[in-house]
Amino acid sequence: MTSMVEARHLCKRVTTSEGELVILSDINLSISAAETVAIVGASGSGKSTLLGLMAGLDSASSGDMLLDGQNLSTMDEEQRARLRGQSVGFVFQSFQLLPSLTALENVMLPIELKNDRNARQKAAQLLQRVGLEARVTHYPNQLSGGEQQRVAIARAFASQAKILFADEPTGNLDTTTGAKVIDLLFSLNKEYGTTLVLVTHDDRLAQRCGRLVRLVAGEITEDVVAGDAVHV
Amino acid sequence: MSEQSASAFNTVSVRTLIGVALRLLWRDWRGGELRLLLLAMIMAVTSVSGIALFTDRLERALLQESANMLAADRVLGAREQPPRELLSEAEQRGLSTAEYIAFASMVFSDQGNLLIAAKAVSDAYPLRGDLQVADEAFGVAYVADQGGPARGEVWVESRVLPSLDINIGDTVFLGDSEFTVSRVLVQEPDRQQGGMMENAGPRLLMHMDDVPATNVIQPGSRVTYRYLFAGEQSALEDYTTWVRNQFDGQYRLRDVRDESAEVSEALNRGESFLLLGSLFAVLLAGVAIALTARRYSERHFDYAAILKTLGCTSNQISIIYFCILLAVLLLAVIVGSIAGWGLHMLILNLLQSVIPISLPPASGLPFVVGALTALICLFAFALPPLLALKHTSPLRVLRKDLADAPLSTALPYVFGIAGGLVLVIWYSQDLLITAILVAAVSSVAVALSALSYLLLRSGTAAGMRAGSAWMLAMSAVRRRRRQSVLQVLVFSLTIMSLLTLGLLRTDLIADWQAQLPENTPNHFMMNIRSDQVAGMEDYLRDNDIQSNPFYPMMSAGLLRVNGETAPLPWDNDEEGNNASSSVTERSAESSQDDASDADAAENDGNRSGRVENRQVTYTAQLPPDNELVAGSWWGSDARPGEVSVELDYANRLRLELGDELVFRLGQQEVTVTVTSFRTVRWDNMQPNFFFIFSPGTLDSIGSTYLSTLLLQGEQKVLLNDLLRTYPTIVVLEVDALIEQIQTIIAQVSSAVELIAVLVLIAGALVLLSCVNATLDERFRENAILRTLGAGRKLIMTSLLIEFAFIGLLAGLIATLGAEISVYYLQVEVFQQEFFPHYWVWIVGPLAGTLIIASLGVNATRRVVSTSPLAVLRNLSA
Repeated sequence: MTSMVEARHLCKRVTTSEGELVILSDINLSISAAETVAIVGASGSGKSTLLGLMAGLDSASSGDMLLDGQNLSTMDEEQRARLRGQSVGFVFQSFQLLPSLTALENVMLPIELKNDRNARQKAAQLLQRVGLEARVTHYPNQLSGGEQQRVAIARAFASQAKILFADEPTGNLDTTTGAKVIDLLFSLNKEYGTTLVLVTHDDRLAQRCGRLVRLVAGEITEDVVAGDAVHV
Repeated sequence: MSEQSASAFNTVSVRTLIGVALRLLWRDWRGGELRLLLLAMIMAVTSVSGIALFTDRLERALLQESANMLAADRVLGAREQPPRELLSEAEQRGLSTAEYIAFASMVFSDQGNLLIAAKAVSDAYPLRGDLQVADEAFGVAYVADQGGPARGEVWVESRVLPSLDINIGDTVFLGDSEFTVSRVLVQEPDRQQGGMMENAGPRLLMHMDDVPATNVIQPGSRVTYRYLFAGEQSALEDYTTWVRNQFDGQYRLRDVRDESAEVSEALNRGESFLLLGSLFAVLLAGVAIALTARRYSERHFDYAAILKTLGCTSNQISIIYFCILLAVLLLAVIVGSIAGWGLHMLILNLLQSVIPISLPPASGLPFVVGALTALICLFAFALPPLLALKHTSPLRVLRKDLADAPLSTALPYVFGIAGGLVLVIWYSQDLLITAILVAAVSSVAVALSALSYLLLRSGTAAGMRAGSAWMLAMSAVRRRRRQSVLQVLVFSLTIMSLLTLGLLRTDLIADWQAQLPENTPNHFMMNIRSDQVAGMEDYLRDNDIQSNPFYPMMSAGLLRVNGETAPLPWDNDEEGNNASSSVTERSAESSQDDASDADAAENDGNRSGRVENRQVTYTAQLPPDNELVAGSWWGSDARPGEVSVELDYANRLRLELGDELVFRLGQQEVTVTVTSFRTVRWDNMQPNFFFIFSPGTLDSIGSTYLSTLLLQGEQKVLLNDLLRTYPTIVVLEVDALIEQIQTIIAQVSSAVELIAVLVLIAGALVLLSCVNATLDERFRENAILRTLGAGRKLIMTSLLIEFAFIGLLAGLIATLGAEISVYYLQVEVFQQEFFPHYWVWIVGPLAGTLIIASLGVNATRRVVSTSPLAVLRNLSA
């Protein structure tokens, strides 16, 4: 099976006033197409940094990061932006919808950026799919947290991304709403055959993924496939 | 993903980006995000196009009215008939021409005779303005439907009729010809032009073709020839150059600015002020634009980061925000131009009573100026912070603290300063004003940063020891020290601009009013014999006419300085201009129209034989408006043989105190020593002299006397009586001129005041944007404070104290800056005297405190009225 995401000896260091701080150390990880992976760990373990590196939002201090077969380490920000536009979708804890745009316009945006003339129609279908057909003209601040996250999910799938990165997608939602949103996320993921990488604290959410990667102090301490337990 | 869709993504169409930009724009507009930016931009366009429209029309109107004072756009004068080629060339260049000959002559009737100032005009006279006539002496005036009188007819001023005991239709004799008096001449546009001989009595207007038959003009007669020209500005300029080149500087075309120092001063200073005013308004609007654009861009970091995660490249983000700015620009230009039109109409309406003339229509240029200004403001002030958005890290979607890096670069400042410089140079076209403004602003900025930093530190340290609201306020100021310094800086520069303009306006208008106070003399009396002085003084007193001292006056030519042949004062003058062309100075001169005033009467050594004759006087008292700048005045114990010289004139002649000068007065030579230098206010409509001798020096030389008097309204008829009693004196009437100047000054003053108001609005906008810039942070801080239990009153009081403190500092610093700027502007640009304004040291800081405190509290009121939960929820979203 081809690797959708591959990290080779990935390191991330930052310089602070108190000296150099190692956030990620020698990360080696390969995620195949259509796999669902949960990255778990305590606060400050480096999981969001790893997500940022895998999605090409940040660059590594050393090592190689391959996304959809392309080496992010050798690309500049412009090239990475294009790659994100082609292959990557995001769902964030704080939703990150553009407050100036309606739900429909938010979902249309990635489709429009691909010069697709049917953006409005496709976005409307997606919103219907996430159960928000009655909310298309609403602005984010007129929607509840759960509704906003559903719009964000619709937007993530709108670009027909090959890989979806989700950062604490239920972090801002209550348990019931969170569960509904996760159901939706997994159902759409299955439907579209997308690779899903999500960062979470939520064990129940992590259990729904086919694979679990645990980070402790910037190192992978556990990498298990569902039903299997492999300690690294 | 297929290759096709990948390449589609790489070439996201500009149309798509424009669509995104327009949607962001629309929503930002609805959300109020863009309102201040747009408002600041509209303000810039409105003030520039409004002021440009107004000055464009007013200047053309003033020039038109001023042209009326010359009866033409340009005038060429000479003692000898200038070549006819001058007229034919002008006509070939599409200019209108007219001419006249002026001379003094006796006119006779069967009952008496009178010295009149005759003016023989061609058919086309006057080229500008109208001749006003009446059908009886002192009758109702109306505009003459033709040019001057027909051949065989003359028009005379009202007082000629009683003086000669004649009526309309009677015959008068001039030289060998006889004429019918067909109308009374009430007003001619260029009545005040020309020297004493042209105005040596009441006017008689005749046709030029009648002159030869009269035989009054003989070789040696004192005659002035004038050629008048009118037409397009560019054609006039070309023609002026042609005349200068063709005749090697022998003839010079004069315009109203050459002809009247008073009008020229008022116009020049008024224009400088308007320009300075619009400059301040635009620069303040520029600062407001920069501040609002910065805030707008700070609020769009998240947008840019999200767009990047969705695949937008940096360039595409730049395109999106550039489109937004272009749309704002377009909107600002449209709305600002309309508002500018409205503003200038408002100004015109307000000035309706003082602008009696109909204004020529506006040209399109002011709108272009407005649009270009907006474009410069956009590129210099708004674009840099928005373009910085492209540097936003997409990682910001995961980590919000990655915000501020892009804006901390020097780029926006460099752009802002460069844009400001371009605007200042473009508007002022004057490197001196630019240098003063740049030096003032930059030195003030540097000094202020240091000073406000220190003051903030000591002020906040004191505050920390005070009550809790104080503590809260001072810790807020301290926490945002960099921001607070910036705020104090922006506030103080804004208040400084307002104070500077306010002070200049006050001084400028006061100076103008002082120049021509209400009781300015409006008649000059000359050619008074010494034995007539006492009788005239009695006559004036008996008739309750306000008069001034009688100055002896005689013509003197400077022959030698310290034994060397005296240079002509204009030898050192690159442009060959006269030092002054004031009406009063002219009136005291026997001639002024020639290319040079010099007489060619005597050949003196190896020089060209030209000796400049000046009217001189002697007096024990230093005349009013004269100020001694070097040496000492002789006072009452004056010794003969001393002379006091006007400073500019002395500089031109390179004279020094103690120099020995030899003058020729009539047939005598007089030797004197320079004992003082004076400055003279040439525009005060009083007798002024380059040389004043000490009493006793010129006693043996016969002189006539000169004085001025004020005739108001009905007193004017006394002039006839006076002239009948003293028929040999010459009266020069300048009342119409004074009225004209006062009207122009009133117009310019009103315009100046309106501009000051406009700058005030621009200033308020800056203050508002500056307060708004810290709003987000305040919301966050105060929400936390309130959740921690701080009361509404405590927070409001601490906000009040914080803004009042910043306002006080800004007011203090602004006052200092304004006094320095006003000093340089008054001394260097407006050529005024500088006096410190003590009151402003109270008004400045007080106004700073009140304005900033009320603006600040008003703008941040929402901080405490919004629920803390809503704020925190909004911030975390």
